[in-house]
Amino acid sequence: MATRKSARSQSQSSSPPQIDSLEVLLHRMMNRIRQSLDLSEILAGTVAEVRTFLGTDRVKIYRFHPDGSGQVIAESNRPRRLPSLLGQNFPAEDIPLAARELFLKARQRSIVDVTEQQIGLSPLDCLETGTLLATEDIRFRPVDPCHAEYLMAMGVRSSLVVPILHHDYLQQNRLWGLLASHHSSARRVSERELQIVQLVADQVAIAIAQSNLLSQTRAQAEQEATVNRVSWLLHSMTEMQVQQALEQTVKALQVAGGRIYISPQFEPSEHLLAQTGQLFSCGQQPLLATPAKQTKPQPIELHPEWPACLSANGSTITDVLAIADLHPLDLPPDLAEAFSTAEIRSLLVVPLFYRQQMLGYLSLFRPEIEVETLWAGRVDRNDPRNLRPRESFEVWRELKLGQCQEWAIAEIELAQALGKHFAMAIHQYGLYQQVHTLNLDLEQDIQERKQAEVKICALNAELEQRVLERTAELQRANTELIREIRERERALRERQQAKDSLKRLSRQNELILNSAGEGIYGLNLQGKTTFVNPAAARILGYEVEHLSEKFIHGIINHSQSDGSPYEWTASPIHATLIEGAAQHRTDDLFWRQDGSSFPVEYVSTSIREQSKIVGAVVIFKDITERQIVERMKDEFVSVVSHELRTPLTSIRTALGILAQGCLDTQPDKSQRMLEIAFSNTNRLVRLINDILDLERIKFGKSLMQKQACNATNLILQSVDTMRAMAEKAEVNLAVTPIAAQLWVDPDRIIQTLTNLLSNAIKFSPPQATVRVTAERRRPESFEFSVFSAAIEELATNSDQDPPLEAEDHSQPEVLLISIQDQGRGIPEDKLESIFDRFQQLDASNSGHQGGTGLGLTICRSIVQQHGGQIWVESTVGKGSTFYFTLPLHQESGVGLSK
Amino acid sequence: MTIRRILIIDDEDDIREATQVCLEVTGEWEVLTASSGHEGLLKATAEHPDAILLDVMMPGMDGISTFQELQTNPATQDIPVILLTAKTQSAEQRQFTQLKVAAIITKPYDPFSLSLQVTQALS
Repeated sequence: MATRKSARSQSQSSSPPQIDSLEVLLHRMMNRIRQSLDLSEILAGTVAEVRTFLGTDRVKIYRFHPDGSGQVIAESNRPRRLPSLLGQNFPAEDIPLAARELFLKARQRSIVDVTEQQIGLSPLDCLETGTLLATEDIRFRPVDPCHAEYLMAMGVRSSLVVPILHHDYLQQNRLWGLLASHHSSARRVSERELQIVQLVADQVAIAIAQSNLLSQTRAQAEQEATVNRVSWLLHSMTEMQVQQALEQTVKALQVAGGRIYISPQFEPSEHLLAQTGQLFSCGQQPLLATPAKQTKPQPIELHPEWPACLSANGSTITDVLAIADLHPLDLPPDLAEAFSTAEIRSLLVVPLFYRQQMLGYLSLFRPEIEVETLWAGRVDRNDPRNLRPRESFEVWRELKLGQCQEWAIAEIELAQALGKHFAMAIHQYGLYQQVHTLNLDLEQDIQERKQAEVKICALNAELEQRVLERTAELQRANTELIREIRERERALRERQQAKDSLKRLSRQNELILNSAGEGIYGLNLQGKTTFVNPAAARILGYEVEHLSEKFIHGIINHSQSDGSPYEWTASPIHATLIEGAAQHRTDDLFWRQDGSSFPVEYVSTSIREQSKIVGAVVIFKDITERQIVERMKDEFVSVVSHELRTPLTSIRTALGILAQGCLDTQPDKSQRMLEIAFSNTNRLVRLINDILDLERIKFGKSLMQKQACNATNLILQSVDTMRAMAEKAEVNLAVTPIAAQLWVDPDRIIQTLTNLLSNAIKFSPPQATVRVTAERRRPESFEFSVFSAAIEELATNSDQDPPLEAEDHSQPEVLLISIQDQGRGIPEDKLESIFDRFQQLDASNSGHQGGTGLGLTICRSIVQQHGGQIWVESTVGKGSTFYFTLPLHQESGVGLSK
Repeated sequence: MTIRRILIIDDEDDIREATQVCLEVTGEWEVLTASSGHEGLLKATAEHPDAILLDVMMPGMDGISTFQELQTNPATQDIPVILLTAKTQSAEQRQFTQLKVAAIITKPYDPFSLSLQVTQALS
């Protein structure tokens, strides 16, 4: 333990400075501090003033490094006394931590007198409590030999060390450095000097504080200026000048390179960002190897391991990541290679966040550096605990390669501040781009809307024009419509009239169809009936409804005249439907429902609508009766022809022979030929007369000269006429006359009576009697069979008067005249036919009897012309009785007389 | 010269007589006559004339029936038959032409050419 002595008791040999000079010194120093803001200048002036004040060989200001080492930053040397230490560094071991603690906590000052091997310690504060001590005693004790040896090695025999403390921004004391005075010879340090040096140190502390404050202010101003420049580049320009802002950032932070990576997730505008993000770079850049099939290297920010590299837990970093040395990091090989290739050793990554939205990264790179340190003597690395004092303080220049640089807090803060502006700018630019895009879209919309408005205006104008045109058209159409309506009304009236007419016509047609005697039916193209009139149904033996809409060809079994049925497609009616030509047939057959057939005459005519065949109408009639009539006519003509030609043949042959003179030599034969010619001429005359007479009677009813006649007279007159013939034939005539008035043509009645009498005489054997009787009778008293036969006979002659009705009791009496003979009789089957023309019972006798075969026919015609009937009753072998009736004259008196 | 014989069958006495005279004096025919079909059949069978002049419209057996009988009779079927008829209707003529007769002569015939017509018919 060193002996404690007062500094005052150990006044040094050198005379202490006067008070005035001390005050002047302090005043000058304070002025210097006030006048200058440059710490180096202040420190240089300080050491000079202090050395001048103390008169020592060397005064220096030693500044501690954070690791405990330090460096002489200001020095004032007396020439040729002690070597300069300015700029030299001293390892931390030279001033151990314990000593540094005492400097800091006790503000302990030390005074070493190497010669005396003593060290005087003068703390200002209590080491334990830190409170200010009441006294500033200097307590001496023996100096540590190593300390003394250390100082001696430096050539120092006396030293004074005063700590310089600095209140940092946390208001905590920090050992900033030391103010040391070295003297190469022994020298005592007075308490006053200590106090003065302490005051100087305090002033230096103030100056340091001021300087730090100034430095901080300047740094802050510079930082703000940098931020402002960057902000101006980012915010004030029309276009965000990211590249220039980045260059400013790199420059401000004095880094080797930097980059802004804007992540693809932030897509404010497709113009700003690519899908892979956008990269701005400046200076040295880590480059990943270019992947295959790509032309550009991939940014490190897109490296899949990059987020993991930035964050310990793999999550996205939210704060500044300052990596002073990349080497210790376990980077993926390609990333490590990218950084090492670019000689990047330090990395500062500022995530760009804006309102919790990750926009990208601001990355700053620093290369590894060479650190050259001037050491005050070479440290013996074999004595790490510095057990032995350094023997030499010869300047040792230490060069360290591949050193990394720590990122200063100010740098980090600046980078952080700039990062915020980048983030804000990127976000705002994104918004701007969005707004710009929206504006562009809006402008485009406005343009489009303007164009649309123009179009709309044009369309409106066109529409108005169209409306006008349409209105005009509508007016025209309206006028036309009114006209059409009127026309339609007129057409409707006409149609109604036409409909009424059509209805009337239809009714008329229906009546015509229903009234028509001919069968009429219509066909469609399939051969089915479209209408059938009642006559058709009646003729065919059906009801109308049974034939409606039926395939009538099959029903009527349309056949040819020989009975062979037509195939439908081969029938004439089908030909009408197909070809349209009218067909007229008179020999075909239709079949009735009962299975009987009848000859038919029909006309099939096509029905056309607008020149197109839509059907056919068939008009037919049963020609059975007509064929009978025609056959009868043919037969009549044939018979007449035969009857005329027969006598003509005889006449022509006989006269021809005579004319040839072939019989000139045969007078008998000539005579005979003449007789033949003559008799046949007579026969021919009678025949012609009868024929003409018959026709006259038949068609000349009005020629009857009817008058009231006495029946008896007529009968007697007839008998008288025939008496000669009867006598010749030796036949007796017996007459039973009756007094009755008749309304008849007397000549015709006499002709009838003589004819009948002639026949009776002609066919009576000699000695037979022909009886003529007359009686009044009512028609109903006649035998029915006879009378009905007469009625049927009458019915066949439609042009005759209607027959008397058998059951009509109101009919008046008639005169019944009978001529009875005793001839050979007439077979029953001939009783009716003998009244037909040329129906002689035995034609071979006609010539002999001189008959023409027309006598009974003439009689029947005469009787019928008088409204009477004629018939015959006969028994073969016994004779015949011819009856005929004549009307009585109603106004005449009725009476009978023999 | 062989005398030719011809049988006239006709119910009309005057025609039969006049025709006989005509053929005899103009064609030197030997004429046989019959007044009915039955009689004509008998004479034809019995006499086998060179030709038969046959009337059509006759009471009883008419000329058509007589011709058919002649045709069915082997003894007479080879005798040429000439119809001598007053039936001149076209339908009647068509009916006659369907028969295998030698000729059809209509009444009243030309007495000057009757013999020639018969001769031609037979040839």
